[in-house]
Amino acid sequence: MRRLVFELEGTTAIAEMHEDIVPGTCDAVWEILPVEGMSIHANWASREIMLHLQGDKILRLPPEGPSSHGIVAPGDIVYFWRAPQMSRGKQLAYSSEFERELSEFAIFYGEPSGLGLATSDPARESDPTLQVTTLFATFIDLPADFVDKCEEIRHEGLKRLVVKRYEE
Amino acid sequence: MTRVRIALGEVEAFAELDEVAAPRTTAWLRELLPIRNRAIHSMENGREVYALLDTQGPIPEENQTIYQCVGDLFVYHKPAIFVEPAWPRHMRTFLVIGFIYERDSAIRGMSGPLATNIVGRITQGMDALAHEAPRMRKEGFGEIAISVV
Repeated sequence: MRRLVFELEGTTAIAEMHEDIVPGTCDAVWEILPVEGMSIHANWASREIMLHLQGDKILRLPPEGPSSHGIVAPGDIVYFWRAPQMSRGKQLAYSSEFERELSEFAIFYGEPSGLGLATSDPARESDPTLQVTTLFATFIDLPADFVDKCEEIRHEGLKRLVVKRYEE
Repeated sequence: MTRVRIALGEVEAFAELDEVAAPRTTAWLRELLPIRNRAIHSMENGREVYALLDTQGPIPEENQTIYQCVGDLFVYHKPAIFVEPAWPRHMRTFLVIGFIYERDSAIRGMSGPLATNIVGRITQGMDALAHEAPRMRKEGFGEIAISVV
C-alpha cells in the first residue's frame, strides 16, 4: 500500500492509502503530491482540519467507493469536493478561491470526528454531483504532538501543512 | 432594558438582554458580568463563537430554543468533548455564553439539537462580529469581553 506523510509545523503523521477500495481517487491524489497550504480547522465536523487544494492541485473527482459522509473516525482522511452552488454562507474564513467551489483533504484527528452539524446535512449527501466525500487514506498512527498541533489551529489560526509521498 | 457591550478581538457590538422572556437567566447573567475570557470558535455548530463561564450554574430552563438565529445571545451547557480534547472527567458539560454570527449554524449536542436559553439580542455591531470571527479563525483567537454598558 502506498503511504502519505503529513507534516504540520515540525510534527508528522503517516497514512496508508485505501487503494484497494478507491484506486481512482488514490491515483489522482498521488499524482498531485506534494501539496501544501495553510490548513484551517473545521467548524461543522468537530475534530477535523482541512487543506484546500489550490490552483493546478484542485481535484474534481467522481464518487468512488462507499460515501464517508457523516461516518468517519479519528485518523480518517477524506477527499471532499463541493459544487459552487452549495457553499454554506459567505465562507469569509476561506480564501476567495474556496468561497465557492471547495476541493480539499479533510483530516480527522480526534474524537469526536464528524459529529455536530455535519451529521445532519441531508440536503448535501443525496446528490453526488453536488458533493463528493471519499475516504481514501487512514493514519497508521496519530502521534500526540501531531494531534496537539491540529488542535492548536482552532485557537491560533492557520498552520502550514505539507502532504507528500512517503518513501522509506 | 439592560444593554451589554460585547468586545471580540478588535471590534465591539452591543446587545439588549431580554429581561421579559428570560427574567431569571438575565438576572443571573447580570450578576456574573463583566466576563472576560478566551474566545473559542465552535467546531461542531457552524458560525458560533463562545466563551466558558466561570460557573456551572445551574441556570433555569427558560426562553429556550433549538432554532437559534444570527444575533441571538445565548447560554447553555456545551458537551465538554467539543471544548477540550482532554477535559476533567468528572465533568460532562461546560456552561458557555455565545452567539451565532452567520446562518447555516445550529447548536448541537452529541446526538441532536441542543436547547439554549436566549438571554438577549445583538442589536448593534453584528456585521463587525461577522467579519471579526472569520478573521480570528484564520489569524488566531483572542479574548471576548461582555460587560453591562
